[in-house]
Order: sequence, then structure tokens, then C-alpha cells
Amino acid sequence: MVPLVALLFHPVLPSASAVDPPTEAETVFEKEVRPVLVQHCQRCHGPRKQESGLRVDSREAMLKGGVSGPGIVPGKPDQGTILAAVHHRGDIAMPPDEKLADRQIAALAKWVAAGAVWPQANTAPAATQDSIAASTRKHWAFQPVQAPAVPKTQNSTWPASDIDRFILARLETAKLPPAPPADKRTLLRRVTFDLTGLPPTPAEIAAFLADTSPDAFAKVVDRLLASPHYGERWGRHWLDVARYADTAGDGADYPVREAYKYRDWVITAFNKDLPYDQFIRQQIAGDILAKNAPADQYDDYVTATGFLAIGKRYGYSPKPDYQYLDFADVIESVGRSLLGLSLGCARCHDHKYEPVSIEDYYALYGIFQSTQWAFPGGEEHKRPAHFPPLVPPAEVARLEQVKAQELAQLDSEIAKLNRERGQLDGTGRVGGLDLGLENQPLGKPPAGVWLSAGPNAVLAEAQSPFAHVHPTGTRGVRVGSSAANNGVRYVFRPGLRAVAGQKMHFTIDFRTVAPTDKTGAYRFYLGQGVIASTAVDCSVTPTEFAIKNGSKWEVIRKLTPGTWYTLQLTIDHATKTFSGQVGTANDRTTFENKSVFPGWNGVIDTFICDGNGHVAGPAATRDLDNLGLSETAFPAVGSTTPAVAPLPADAQARIQKLDAEITAITKRRADVQARVAYPVAYAVSEGKPMNVRVQLRGEPDRLGAEVPRRFLSVLGGDPVPANEPGSGRLQLAEWITRPTNPLTARVFVNRVWQGHFGRGLVATASDFGLRGSPPSHPELLDHLTARFMASGWSTKSLHRWILLSNVYQQSSLADEAGRAADPENILWGRFPRQPLDAESIRDGMLAISGLLDRTPPQEHPFPPVETWAFTIHRPFHAVYESNHRGVYLMRQRNSRHPFLSQFDAADPNLSVAERKPTITPKQSLYLMNSPFMHTQSTAFAQALLQQPGDAQAHARAAFEQVHGRVPDDSTIAEAVTFVETYQNQLTQGKPPTPAQTVAAWAALGRVLFMSNGFLYVD
Amino acid sequence: MFSPSSRRQFLQRASGGFGAIALAGLLADTQAAEVRQAAGSPTDPLAPRPGHFPAKADRVIFLFSTGGVSHVDTFDYKPRLVADHGKKISATRWLNKPGKFERFLIRPHWKFQPYGQSGTPVSELFPHLGGVIDDVAVLNAMYCESDGHDKATLAAHTGSAQFARPSAGAWVSYGLGTVNRNLPSFMVLAPHAPYAAGQTWGSDFLPACHQGTHVIPGAEPLPNLRPRTPQPGLQRMELDLLARLNQDHLRQHPADQALDARIRSFETAFGMQREAPEAFDLSQETEETLNLYGINRKTTTGFGWQCLVARRLAERGVRFLELIDVGSSNNWDSHGNMADHARLAKAIDLPIAALLTDLKRRGMLERTLVVWTTEFGRTPFHQQADHAGREHHNLCFSSWMAGGGVKGGVVHGMSDEHGIFPADGKVHTHDLHATILHLLGIDHERLTYRHAGRDYRLTDVAGEVVRPILA
Repeated sequence: MVPLVALLFHPVLPSASAVDPPTEAETVFEKEVRPVLVQHCQRCHGPRKQESGLRVDSREAMLKGGVSGPGIVPGKPDQGTILAAVHHRGDIAMPPDEKLADRQIAALAKWVAAGAVWPQANTAPAATQDSIAASTRKHWAFQPVQAPAVPKTQNSTWPASDIDRFILARLETAKLPPAPPADKRTLLRRVTFDLTGLPPTPAEIAAFLADTSPDAFAKVVDRLLASPHYGERWGRHWLDVARYADTAGDGADYPVREAYKYRDWVITAFNKDLPYDQFIRQQIAGDILAKNAPADQYDDYVTATGFLAIGKRYGYSPKPDYQYLDFADVIESVGRSLLGLSLGCARCHDHKYEPVSIEDYYALYGIFQSTQWAFPGGEEHKRPAHFPPLVPPAEVARLEQVKAQELAQLDSEIAKLNRERGQLDGTGRVGGLDLGLENQPLGKPPAGVWLSAGPNAVLAEAQSPFAHVHPTGTRGVRVGSSAANNGVRYVFRPGLRAVAGQKMHFTIDFRTVAPTDKTGAYRFYLGQGVIASTAVDCSVTPTEFAIKNGSKWEVIRKLTPGTWYTLQLTIDHATKTFSGQVGTANDRTTFENKSVFPGWNGVIDTFICDGNGHVAGPAATRDLDNLGLSETAFPAVGSTTPAVAPLPADAQARIQKLDAEITAITKRRADVQARVAYPVAYAVSEGKPMNVRVQLRGEPDRLGAEVPRRFLSVLGGDPVPANEPGSGRLQLAEWITRPTNPLTARVFVNRVWQGHFGRGLVATASDFGLRGSPPSHPELLDHLTARFMASGWSTKSLHRWILLSNVYQQSSLADEAGRAADPENILWGRFPRQPLDAESIRDGMLAISGLLDRTPPQEHPFPPVETWAFTIHRPFHAVYESNHRGVYLMRQRNSRHPFLSQFDAADPNLSVAERKPTITPKQSLYLMNSPFMHTQSTAFAQALLQQPGDAQAHARAAFEQVHGRVPDDSTIAEAVTFVETYQNQLTQGKPPTPAQTVAAWAALGRVLFMSNGFLYVD
Repeated sequence: MFSPSSRRQFLQRASGGFGAIALAGLLADTQAAEVRQAAGSPTDPLAPRPGHFPAKADRVIFLFSTGGVSHVDTFDYKPRLVADHGKKISATRWLNKPGKFERFLIRPHWKFQPYGQSGTPVSELFPHLGGVIDDVAVLNAMYCESDGHDKATLAAHTGSAQFARPSAGAWVSYGLGTVNRNLPSFMVLAPHAPYAAGQTWGSDFLPACHQGTHVIPGAEPLPNLRPRTPQPGLQRMELDLLARLNQDHLRQHPADQALDARIRSFETAFGMQREAPEAFDLSQETEETLNLYGINRKTTTGFGWQCLVARRLAERGVRFLELIDVGSSNNWDSHGNMADHARLAKAIDLPIAALLTDLKRRGMLERTLVVWTTEFGRTPFHQQADHAGREHHNLCFSSWMAGGGVKGGVVHGMSDEHGIFPADGKVHTHDLHATILHLLGIDHERLTYRHAGRDYRLTDVAGEVVRPILA
């Protein structure tokens, strides 16, 4: 609110013109005030942005101020929001990062006190500058990739490749020699774990040792790259970056049954060396590209977009409420994983360090907002939704039709049998046998088609006196439960489904048992299922009758406890209305044109009487009788008893036969219903194209200007073409993977280097921005990147170049001089020793013990989707043990897998650039005492003892399997002595049982598994 | 994509071994040990180290009541709410939606009375806590942004309601290390997982050695603590052979600190096997102490065990202990009927009072910061007059702090007459965190970790130390 005084205040405009010399006030402004405003304020309060509605690039704007009031009041430096903020006087302290110097504040105050003179010629806002500073544009990572000249080295014999020349040139400059080559056993163990995450087998070791040909190692590399285990290992590296998990990550952590399809797609993509640019394009826009893809790859392309969908989710239902957070995850993940740029900061403000503006962020946001996201299920909507089909649309339509026809066929069979049955037992006709109630035993809760919860019983006293629908019978239902959620339920077979031109009719007799001290209401519910879709709710207290008109309760009439009433309803799905009458023969109240429940689906198959009525509190005991649901109207209360046809003699036997048939067909129907008409993926599809508005400070309800969809300014800023009918993801995929993009290929080549050497040429693998580490060998990075793109983005080629270099094949043992000169091994003058990661520890032990199941597993054994009721109060949680490889273990976001998290596997809540290995006593306890370790070591011992040979031979084999090498004889002798002593401890002088022998050798196995010879790779 | 080998990264990963301290010495001289080791081993991220300025507290016991405890029924006494019971007001938020809502004021379901010399009002739900209220600083104008359990629970623990971030305990472990390497630095004693489960005590981007270790009360509080070898002595044999093999390996790979750290971590683990069960073993506690904590009363057995074990772990140098009373179901979330609060309060009132009493008589309270909080309060009003329940209320709620550097017997912050909004002295979750860190000698603005190109803090870009409650 702008105070009146500010509106009336007429600015004293200075008479300055271009020819007049500047007045003193103008000089003060230009020298001391304007620079402060430009440097410290206008970035957020200027032409581009008006945080809190305030801009400070003109006098008028400053007078007007923002949401908190006028910015300045000329002549009154103690008023206005701007001076208060720079003085840190009130709630707002500005600028946000650092208080202005006292001198600057004083100048502002002085200027305001003197009337805030603003030279007229300069009232127009300063011309907007390029939002990206020239120095930023010069940052190394934004320069085009250019293959540099390969350096010459003094030592011309050591290099086997250009990689070696780049590395050696730097080593020579530092006067350091490269390390000698690693021995063959070390090299084989290194490359086997590196490419497959598994140890070499003794047979593989023997074959490599025996192969003395010059290309022996190249053959090993080819063999490993061709192994299906290669994709499991390198796919897992990608899944770290892609923040893969098998659950959604909202509070209830819903399982995602289809997540594994993306996981398997990644593994397969690596195994078949899918060119990296295509790998990315499919993950961003596979669903769009699928239309022109080979028919047998349609499903692969759609599955690939799981990369976008697989992040942490925040919503409870498939509504856009929390999508800004889902998108925050997606945008940050896309930036870090593909571009090595952190974009997340720009959600709330221009990035402080990187050339990414808030407009850049919302330009990308628009692309994702224009996309339809699979919803995994959540607290409010407990079922998956919008999962894209893995078959083309025409096939979807055909398969859906096939299924619908099949269901319709079964429905009609069931309906026919039910009609027949209804004719026999009287429930199918008006005037029949009171929905079979007359056949229920007295004194017991109603059973069979009825469901009862609470103290309810079929009683003679509960018989209605009316006979206008059914003949006077001998019993009714007394519902004695007063709790809100207890009562009785009746399921009509068949129910009614809305048919054009036909209404539905319902009738019931009821009374509140008198006397009663209860004042709460009981309810009559009609609809599909228990809560699936409500049609109509009526409600009764001892003294009044109400109906729900739309979503509002409306009292219709007064009632007297103990009196029997008839309620009849006529429901019309076409007009979404119902009418009815309630009362006795000579006291009827009618009501008309009331709205059914919003969103009712037109099906009524369930009646419920519970305590969820219009008045809270315990409900009174009530009697119910003479229910009916029909496509034809019921006789009104007071009319005569309808005639009843006698039952055929063999009715009961035929009913039984019909029941058996109905049960069988109903089961068949359920099977068909449960059968997926077509496979789906946890992925994305095209939505409604739209631009979005900037969310000021990242708050979705504070909107700024609309931003057209486009790419990041620093990478070209290309707009989504005006005639593009889709979201813009197709363009985004192209922009990211075009060869002129300086980041995408560099970032990936660096990740591959990091995968082999433990650290990238850029140490911050997901941060190539201004705050990231600069590359240690920029020329080598560009050399590899240029070559990689020229090779058709072939990852396996990149592996070969690196692995066949002498840099990779160096020993990890540096001499002391080398260690002292380059302790962090920045120059790669030796191979860096690396700890096994979580999956390799586990899979390595399983492989050596012989328990590893090398096949890809079936889907996770999640509970059936029909049973999902997870909430934040009772979230989904499971740990599924398996002997398949670790990449296939079910990973949850909210409760991390106990083994994987303990051994520093990636946290799936964010895109992980590198594992951060820790060494903790808890890990050691796991290795010493966990059931898993003891199972592996026992299986290992059993397999070992199956091999021929004596104890020495067994010990040698044990070392070779676990460490990849055989130690000297004295260590073997020590191991054998250990086993013998251990066994003697167990036998206490008696001859050993086979189990005791196994236990002793298992102990040796455990020691080897716990040892650094196993846990590290040289 | 694994295995950094630089020294800096090595610092993050080696967290085992390195001079485990004998328990006896530790119990006698925790602080001296800390001073001695202040510089810590440069290769050990859990080595104890000093904060930015002298600390008032050495450790934290963080009590968390899951579900949202009603402030107006516990610590925020509102006589006007009693007087205005049933009156219609216009609420500006309902179920986290802004707007104008006609709602009915609901009086507290329990009576209040002043306790102690300070006369701090406490409701009938916490009579035992009332007995020690002169050691407690009550915060009656807490607030946070989110009124969803999940988000508010995350915010109370990590400072971020929206994204996964390191828990306060992980930050403290990262900032100060720990004095007893035979036990984890950050332990969470909780029978059931709270909302957001393991994320509440996760280390997220901090090295994993700082993540909370979940202790589940029961036969095996920590997994894999018991040797599985056929005879106990045999494990020593295994570890001896392991040590010899590793020494051989180390000779061939000299000067690799990671290898050395791994070797030591097995010795530490062996020590933990001995010490940790002892910390959980209450048989050495006197009958009087067991009774004090209510271990032998059915209603208080569970939380009594948690509180007493927390004291034992605190004695043994654990840096940050969190005690969570109930999990994500059957908790304080009394939408339907506030009567639930009575059962839940009964389970924790006596044990918490016992913990404060016991810490004090052992001279530990002075250096132990005890914090009690919950994710949010509950509405002092409802849609229906006379409704038995209350909804979520994040705009204003109560917490308290005691011990290590906190002024006792004070009430800081005041809500308005009906307990709906803070009226004075409001304290945000970030402020609570800033205060905890401050008392531990840490400047919350300087405890940072570089992740994704940004220096992250527990308190994001906010947080003010609540100075009026500092002793």
C-alpha cells in the first residue's frame, strides 16, 4: 500500500538538461548513488527482475516501491523500505550477501534527505547488458572441443598411444618417470574388476599367463567388453549418475514395479555399445523418437525416458501440486549428469557462480511441464497412473479393445446367470424374497452376500410392517454398531450401470430403535464398491432425515424414533440428479432435483449402512428391511403387496449350480481385468505444450514473467521452434548432444576416465562450471573427446584406447621419489590403488563362493498393486535378498539397503558423481560377523574341498581365487597351520567331522575376504 | 567412478581405528581427551576437534516426539483459550491452505499448573518433567514452513523440508568428530522409523561415517555385534591371521593410509564387540536408577530404556544421540482424539525427567545439551466445535532445551492469546539448529561442506542463535 503522501508528492524535477553543467546534487547521484544501485541492487531490482515488486532504476520506481511500501520518501531518510533495508533496521536486510559500506549507506541517506535528485536525462533504465559476462564465456569448459596437437616426448619408446604421450609429456616436465608395467596377475585382476565388477577366475588367470602373444591383453579387454557383466558394471556407474531407485521417494515411498525396465535398458545399452549421443537422446526424448524407430525397438525408446521419471518424487497424487519439486530434481539431475552444470540454484535466483539465470531454469521447466509424467502412486492416489505404453498408440487401442470386449463378454455372461439366479431366489424381482434376507438364520449377523461389522443381527423384531415391495416376511436386520466405520454392507449382483434413458431405483424400510440416547447419525450409502465411487448418501438421526445434495448435507424432514419409514430414491446418471420420498403411507416427504456425488461413475452395486452420517457421534441402533435396487420403479409405500410367484421345487439345487458357475466366471473376469492389456514403463510421454512463468524465489504461487521454452543461454539459448507441436524435449535432446555442445561429450569422457582411474581428469565429474576443478590434463581431455565424437560416440572404443594405454597398465607401486613429488598422483605416474565398491565386494564374494547367480533376475517381488495402501504413516519398506548381482538389488529411496548404504553405494536421492568410500568399524563388524559373510565363506570352503589336492593345494587355490595371486610358500604354510589349529580347536582331539573341516577352511576364506588383498585393487 | 586417491578425499574415508581410547580413561576424562586430541589425526574424519569457539556442551541428546505434539496441551498455557472455548474465529490457514475459515476454538484438554521456583506452567501431561522444569528453557513460539509430517520431520532434522540433506547429528559429527571410536559418533535410538525413515538421520552428501546408526531397542540393538564363529576365541585367531596377511600386504604397498586405516578398523570393531554390548547392558545399574527411569513399569519401559541407554552412551563419549519415541504410525498425530496424547505423554514423561535428574546428579547435565522437539504443534481450533481431535499446526508450537549452556527455568517466546501465531520471540527450526551448534562451539554459518558447487550449511542461508536462553 502506497501512503497517500507518496502519491500526492510532486517530485521536484531538476531542471538539468544536456547542456547545463551538472548540479552538485546530480554529481552526488552519479558519483555515489547510482554506482551503488547498479552494482548492488539492480540485479534483483532492475529491468530484468523486480524482487518483491521493487525496482531501483528510476526515481519513479523507487518512490512507488514494492510490496512492502514506498522505497524512498524524498527528504525523509528515516522512511522508505530501501534505507531501512540497507541500514538493517527492520525485517529486511539488503543486499542479501553483504551489508553496504557505511560510506555508501551515508551517501544514499544524504541523497534521499536532499530530495533524491535524479538527473532527468537518465531516468530511462540503463541498457540491459549481456547477462553472461565475457570472462565467464571464456571459462575453459564453454570453449569448443578442438583436438590439440599430440605432444612430443623425450622418451619415445614408452608411449604406446597418444594418451601415453599426453601423460608422459607432463611427467617429463615434472622430471618424473612413469611407473613400470604392472605384472600380469595384477593387470588381469585390475581390468576384470574394472570392466565387470568381478574377479578373474583361476582359469582366466592361467589362460592370460599362458598367452605370450603381444596382443594378449587386448584379447582380454575384448573378452571382457563382450561379457554381459560389462553392462552390469558400467550400467551401474550410469545408474549412480541417473539417481536410479526402485521406489518413488515420497513419504510413503511407493514401489515402482516398472523401474527395473529402465535399469535393464541401461545395462543393455552399454553392452551393445549404443552410441552415447543416441543413449542420451533416447533418455530425453525416446518416446518421441520411437515413432520413427524400428518397430521392434519401440519399447526400448520409450523405456529410455525412465531417466527423467526415475528421480525422487514429492507428490501424493497425480496432480501438479508438488511438480515444481519433481522438476527441481529433474533439472538439477539433467544439468549435473549430462552437462556437468549445477542448475538447481537458478530455481530461486540467478545462479551466483554459474552463467545460469532464473529464466534459463524456467525455460527448461516449461519443457518438462509440457511433458506427461508417470505417477508412481502416492498417499492420496495409491495407484500408478500415466505410465506410457511400450507399444504404439494403434496397438494400444487394439489391445484395449480386445480386453474390453473380453470383459464385456464375461460381464454379460455373469449378468445373465445372476438374472437367472435372481428369478429363482426372488432377489431379482420386485416382490421377491427380500434380497434373500428371509433365508438368513435368526439371531446371527447377516451373512452370505451381506457383510457385517459390529453387533448386528437378523431378528424377527426387525421385520418391517410394510409390504409394498416385498410381502411381509419374518425378519429384518438390526444394526447395533454405533462406531462410524462399522455397520452392514450388501453387494447387489449384478449391480446397475447407468444406461442412457434409464434411471435407477432404490428402496429400503428403516426405523431407529426406540428409546435411544444416541444423537449421532447413521448413513445409507449407494455407489460402486466401498469407496470407489459414491452415488448418493442419506443420513438418519433419531429425529431427522438428511441427504447429501452434491457435497452438502441437507435435512429433509423430522423423524420419530421407533417409527418405520420407507425411503425410495430415483437416481439419474444422465442429469446427475436424484429425487425421492421418505415417510410412511400417509406422511410422505418428497425431494427432487438433488445432485448426486460429484464424479460419480454411474455404477451402483453396493449398499452400506454405517455411522458416517451428517451428525458426528455414536449412531443409534436401527432396523433395516425390504431393500431393493432395480431398473424399474418400486411400488410406493401404502400400495398393495405384489403377487409372488412360487419357487420351483428344484430351486435350491439350481441356485447352487448357478453360484458355482458365477464364481468361476467372476474369477476369470478378475484374471482378465488384472492382466495388463499392454506393457508400460515408468517413463514420460508428451503432454500439453506450454511456457511457464518464472517462480519468484522458487515459490510456485509467486509468479513472474512468462519464459519461452529454450535451451540454456550459455549453450546457445536456442528456442523451441514456434511451430513445434510437442514439448520441446526432442529439441532439448538435440541441443544436448550436438557436437558443438562443449560439455556433453567432455563430461562423459571424463566419467569414463574416472571409472577406470578412480578420479577424472576433471576431479569434479558433475561440475564443469566455474566452481568445479579445472582439468589436470585439458589437452588430453579434448583429444579423447574429439576422438570419441569422431568414433561415433562409441564407449567401448573409448575403453579400448584407455585400457590399452601404458598409463593404464602401469604398476600402482610408485617409488618414493614419485610419491613425494606427486603424492596425489595428479600426473598419473602410477596406477591409483582403489578400494572395491559395495557391489564389487558383494558380487566378488558371491562369485568366489560359487553362489553368484549370473542371470538377470525376475522382477522384484513387490506386493500386488491391488493391495497398495502405503501412507507416510505406513510406508512401503522391504529388503529382498538375492544371489543375483548387486546392480539388481531392490534399492529404496527412504530406507536405504542396509549393505549397500553401509559400504557407500550411491544415495539414490540425488545424482551421484562419485562414490565416497569410507572405512568404518561397522563395515568391519559386517565382514566379521554378518550371516552373509558366513554363508559365503562356508560355501567357498565346501567348493574348495571338492577340488583335488592336499591342504597346500587348497590353500594355494584359496589365495588365488580371492586375491588373484599365490603367495610364497611360507605364507601358504602359515595358512595351512591356521586351518589345522582352527580345526583342532573345534575337534578337541577327536577326528574332525566334515562340517568341522569346512568350518576351518571357511575361517581361512573369511580372513581372505576381509583382507586388503581382496578389498583393494592394484 | 570409485576410489579417490587424493589426500583430501582420503580424509573423508578413513574413519576407523586410530587410537581407540580405553573406556575407563574416557569416562574419567572425556574433556581432557578431547583437548589432547584436539588436533586429531589428519587422516581421521571422526577424530575429535575443537569448534570455532569454546563450547558450552560436549554432546547432544535430541529427543523427538513423532506426529506433532499439541503445544496448547503441553507447554503453552493459554488461559484465553479456556475462556473462549467454542468461540468462532476466522483462521487464515486450514490444512495448509490459505484462506478465510470459520473455526471453533478448542480449550486445552488438560489442566496446567506452575512448577518449580520458576513457576513455568506445564500441563498435567508432563508432571514429572514439571518436577525438573527449573533446568529447562521452554520455547513457546517455534514455527516451521511445512505442515506435512514428512517434510516437517525432515526440516526438524536436516533444515530442509524439500530435499534430502545431512541430518543435524551428521553435521555435528562432521564438525566435531567423536571421542570414543569404539562407538559411532551419531546414534539414533528408535523402536520404529519416523516419517521419512532413514533420511532423518542420513549423512547425504557428507561422508557416510557421519550418518546416524539406528539402534533398535531389543535383543540386538546393533547388527553384527556378536561373533558368529563356532567358539568365541576362534575369532581372535582369524583376526590375528588377518593382521599378519595385511601387514605383508602393507609392506608391499607402503605409505597407503587407507590400507592402514582398514587394518585398524578391524581392531576397533573387535573393541566395539566388547564395549557396545556393555553400553546396552543395564545389569550394572542400581535398582534405584532402574526405578528412576521407570524401566520396571510397563508404560515407561521402552522410552526408559532409551533414556538410560542414552545416558550410558553419553558417558561413553557418543557425540550426538537422538531418541525417537514412536514411529510413523500410532503416534502423536491426534486428528481423531486428543486422548492419545495422554498415553504417549505417560510413556516419555517419567523417563525424560529421570534423564535430566540423572545427568544432573552425575554432573553431566552441565555439558550435555538435551533438546526436545516435534515436527509441529496442533491447531487450537477445529472445524467442528467440540471435536475431540486437533489438526497439524506448524505456525506455532513448543519445544524445549536443557543442560549444556542453556538457562533453566525460563520461557522464551510467546504465542498470541489463543496459541495460533507467535507473538514474540519466535524461533524457526533453523534458529533451533543454530543454537544447538552454537552451544557446541560451532558457528552455524561457518560449518559448511562443498557439494554440487555450493557450500551447504545445516541452516541453509538462515538461522539466528536464540541468545536469551543462553546461560
